[in-house]
Formats: sequence, C-alpha cells, structure tokens
Amino acid sequence: MGTVLSVESVSKRFQLYHNRPMTLKESAIRWLTGRHEMANAFWALRDVTFAVEQGQALGIIGHNGAGKSTMLRLLCGLGRPTSGRIRREGHASGLLDLGSGFHPDMTGRENIMTGGLLSGLSRREVLACEQEIIAFAELEEFIDEPVRTYSSGMYLRLAFATAMHFDPDVLIIDEVLAVGDARFQQKCLERLATFRATGKTLILTSHVPDQIRKLCDEVLVLEEGQVVMQGDPESALRCYEDLMRQRTERRAAQVFGAEAPPSLVIEQGSRQGTQEASIEAIRLANVHGEIVDSIQSGEGLIIELEYRFTRPMPDLILSLAIYNEAHIKCFETIIQSLRAVFGPLNERGRLVCRFPSLPLVAGHYYINPGLYPTDWSYVYDYHWQMHAVSIIGETDAISEVSGVAALHPTWSVDL
Amino acid sequence: MQRYKLARYFTARDKSPYTRHFIYHFDLLRHLVWRDYTLRYKHSVLGMLWSLLLPLAQLLVLVFLFQAVVPLNIEAYPAFVFCAILPWGWFSSSLSTACGLFINNRDLVRHPSFAPASLAIINTLSNLIMFLVALPLLMIVLFAYRRAMTPALLLLPLLLLIQGVLTAGLSLIVATWNVFYRDVQHIVIVALTLLFYLTPVFYRPQAVAARYQIVYQLNPIAVLIKAYRAIFFEGTYPSVDSLLFAALASATIYALGYMVYNRQQHDIIDKI
Repeated sequence: MGTVLSVESVSKRFQLYHNRPMTLKESAIRWLTGRHEMANAFWALRDVTFAVEQGQALGIIGHNGAGKSTMLRLLCGLGRPTSGRIRREGHASGLLDLGSGFHPDMTGRENIMTGGLLSGLSRREVLACEQEIIAFAELEEFIDEPVRTYSSGMYLRLAFATAMHFDPDVLIIDEVLAVGDARFQQKCLERLATFRATGKTLILTSHVPDQIRKLCDEVLVLEEGQVVMQGDPESALRCYEDLMRQRTERRAAQVFGAEAPPSLVIEQGSRQGTQEASIEAIRLANVHGEIVDSIQSGEGLIIELEYRFTRPMPDLILSLAIYNEAHIKCFETIIQSLRAVFGPLNERGRLVCRFPSLPLVAGHYYINPGLYPTDWSYVYDYHWQMHAVSIIGETDAISEVSGVAALHPTWSVDL
Repeated sequence: MQRYKLARYFTARDKSPYTRHFIYHFDLLRHLVWRDYTLRYKHSVLGMLWSLLLPLAQLLVLVFLFQAVVPLNIEAYPAFVFCAILPWGWFSSSLSTACGLFINNRDLVRHPSFAPASLAIINTLSNLIMFLVALPLLMIVLFAYRRAMTPALLLLPLLLLIQGVLTAGLSLIVATWNVFYRDVQHIVIVALTLLFYLTPVFYRPQAVAARYQIVYQLNPIAVLIKAYRAIFFEGTYPSVDSLLFAALASATIYALGYMVYNRQQHDIIDKI
C-alpha cells in the first residue's frame, strides 16, 4: 500500500485574459505600455496539500468555482501547478469535462480505439474488449455514428465504459456521474464499487452527497482554492453544508435584503440543503393575484414557489410552514409524494399553494418552504425565516388580541 | 511500466516486453496517422482521391502556364515540375495544417498519457501519405518522358527522413505559437506562398542570377527539392555537401522546435 498520488503545497494561478485568444497586436500593446501581467491574476488553488494511498477513494467537494476541476486536471497531468509539486504513480484515466475526451468527427468505435491505444493497449487487445465496452455503454445501434451526434447521456456512457475497461490504476472523475438516467448511474456506481474492490484508486467530485457517502472513504472540502478540511465523508459533508449555509446567508443578505421593505427584515433567516432541488423564488399574492407583502387578517393568500431541479427527480417531499416571529409554528402542510399528487414534475416550474383565508392575528410571519428526498435523509433546500409576510389586523376590533389564530370572538354581557 | 500490465496479461505467453512496447507504439502511431488522414477526407465524396487530384491540378496549372503562356523551354517539363510538386506539396500542406495541431486535437492533448509533441510527427506522416499515394503516378510520368531510372532513387527514404524532421520541427514551432497568437496561421499562409517562389519548384535555379544563388543554398527546402529533382528527373546523385547541410539544418530546426514547444508545453494545456 504505497502513496499513489501526492500533492505538495500546490497553487495554481490563471491569467484572466487567457480566456480569449490574444492577437499579436494586443500583446504588442501590452508590452509597449508595460501593463503588469499579474493585474488580472486569479488563484484557483492555494497551497493545497494531500496524499492518496493506493486503494483509497477520495472525494473532493466544494461549491462551484472552489477549484475542484482545476485540482482534478492537475492530478491528470494537464497543466503544471504555478508552485508546489504533484507526484503520480501508475496510469491514470480521467473523466473530466464532457466534450473533450473524444474527437467529435470520429465514430464511437474509432474513439474507443484511440482511447484504448492511449491507455497502453495494443490494437488486438482493444479489439478484444471493444464488444464488451459497447455492450456496457448500451450503444450498439449508434457505435458507428460520429460522436458529435451523441446526446450528453450517450457521450457519458461511452466515456465511462471506455475509461473503466482500460484498467487504469487511478481513475479521476469530475462530476460526470450526474448525467445519464438513474439506471445507468446505478450501473456506474456498481462498476466503481468493483473497481475499488480490486484495490484501485478513485478520485471523484460530486454534488450528490449520497454518491460521496457510498463511494468515498475520505473527503476533501475545498473552499476558494483552499483545503478547509479532510476527513471522513460524514463530517466533511457536514462541514460542506455549513459552508453552504454561510454562503447562502451572505447571498440572501444581498439578494433579499435589497428587495424586501426594510420594516419586514427583522431576521435574515437562513437556508440549507444540497440545492439539487431548490426553491428559486417565492411570490406572495392576494386573492386577486396582486403581488403583496402584507394582507389583512382573514384575507386569502397565494404562495407561489418557483423550483428548479439540477437533475431529473423521480419524487420528493415538499413542506410549507408558517412561523411567527417567536419561532412558533402556526401551520404546516407536508406533501409526502409530489409525484403521487402532481405526477412527474418538470425540471423547472411553479408550485402554487392557495389559502382561501389566513386567520392569523396581526404581526409578522414567515413562510418556510422545504424540499426533501423521499426518505427525509437530508435536505435539498430549506428556507428558514427568509420570506416574510405581514398580517394587518382589523381596525374596528373592540378588543386587543394576541396569540396566533384570529378567532374573532364576539363579546356580550349577560345580565 | 504499470500501464502495460493488462496488456502484458493478454499476450505474456508469446511476446517479450520489448516486443510489446514496440507493438504498442507502432499501433498507436499507425492509428493516429490513419485517423488524421481519414479526418481530412471525412464527408467528402471523392475522399482519398483528392490526394491525387490536388497535385495533378497543380501540375496542370503550372504546365499550362510555363509551357504555353510563358515558355521556360525546359525539356520534359511536366516530369520536371511533378517531381518537385510532390515534396513541396507535402511540406506546405503539413505546415498549413500544423497551425491547428493543438487546437483541433483537444481530445488527444488532454489525455493524461499522450505527449502532444508527437502530433507534429503524426501530422507530418499523415501528409506524407498524400506524397506516397501519388508516387506511382510520378513514376508513370517519368517513364512516359523516358527519364532514366537509376540507383540514385534509393536515396528517396533518406530525403524523406530529412524533410520529415525539418517539417516536424517547423510544425512544432507554428503549432505552439498559434495556440497563443492566432495570427500565426495567417502568417504561415503568406510565408508559404512567398517560399513557393523562392523554391525551385517550377523553374531551374541555374536560370537565376548568380548573386541570388545564396537563397537556394541556404534554404533547406530548396536544397531538398533540388535533391529530389536530381534523383527522380536527372538520375544523378545530389551532392554530399548539400545533403549534409540539409540534414544539419533539419536537425537544428527540430531541436529548436522542440525547445519552443517544451517551454510552453504546460501553458498550451491551460489555453486550449
């Protein structure tokens, strides 16, 4: 059991103008005016150190732009760290961004040959396992079509099958398992489990906590190019969720803080979850459909939840609760199976909840919606005290009321 | 050597690791050259026939121009031109396609176990196929004009090797620079047009005034073209001096090309 990969205080800097091709004229001007090149530098990774033992499965998590993909590319030997050192032993195979592994004009079969030869097999050996690859990728009909005609799912299937069958010592996978249907994902996960059982090393990034839990025995959390923690999957995922919530809070402060009327922003609230399914926006309307942020007590309220799935969701749980400022739950409704009630949902859409009347006493209330997997195992998205609504009491009331429910008693004196 | 593990398992019985190594590299090179060659003719009706049609068209134009319009009075002119057009065509098509080497082969450049510099060799070899396909035709033309076939023809592989090294070296330079400055591909087109006239493809260098002869002595591709003409058309041996110079120049340019590439190697991957 030796160290297969070791990363020693690696940093990577990108020049931002590198994103577009530069012409001679531009660089001549830059040279003549003596503009300093480092002005637009961006550090994708800063002083990252870790090691991977043979047979280990390392997960790398972090929000978009945390440096995960840059790290994986460096591990594959693509590009050189600006400082620090990476040592790798054995043959690595990478499933990095879709669209760069195959030549678009060559057929699937020709691309298999290219991949196989590059992985160190001879022509005869590639031909020997070609059939197996095609069968695994389930591409029998399309294998002689140019790869550019493939859908992203087909592309992934071919890429995965090719990478797995050429027996790499280290397999590096960047998020790609998110593509493809659930059944093929399952097949990939099983194949990866067998791969691991043979003592091979796996490094992957994923946004799906379940995949990280199932596949990895060590997880690295990256935030803004730096390692925040390295540890077992559970504590790493907790750390990641904490980071996620902090980010969401900062973001919520920017987005919602600017839009909501100042009087309503009493507590900023928080948001947590993996965001695989998320509630993008909430709109409150009165019974006439006018957007409002306050209603009369007893008046009707329409709550529109705009949701978005990052991948197809077979089913999920929705909760919608109304809390008051004292954090007391006034009302909650839970739909245990959105599919059973509404049928299959699109990846984007709007769920509408209508309250014909909202008999709550005057005050500030919060609408707290949540989306969960069917087994409540974790949270996709939960908004806590982020969306406020004011209930205005009737002015002609003869008594002062408090509490939660607006019950409208009538008073009289019996003599 | 880890990467050959599975491969060894398949054929361990009958082949030594050394043979395996050789088979592996041979298979890889053959596949990539074939891939490069077929990609060029994908979606074209005539396909590989273009390898023949292109030099033939060039030949017709030059023959018409310099036999009928501006007669140069060179005997067996079609044979004279054809034996220079083929090596020139190899050189110029290699260099003009070399600009896109790294940009158009992202899938290879980004493969963990592929050395991008080999693309220059692959491209040079796949363009050589065009030359080789047209070679029998050249033989027919030479035969039709009753040119003598001499043992000097045996020098052809050597000339091909020298030109191949020269082309691969220059390809590395333009391919690397073109990743950073897309202007290079346009400059190469202009430079090739200019060079075409500075290379004795359709005329005799002897017809040029003595003070310009230095151009033909210092331009390695001109030296090579003269050598091809010597073995094909004149049936004589090219001078040892000129071949030595060409070989030396090619090796130097290849070393230079590799240095240019090697310095930028890691930035290329970040840029494409």
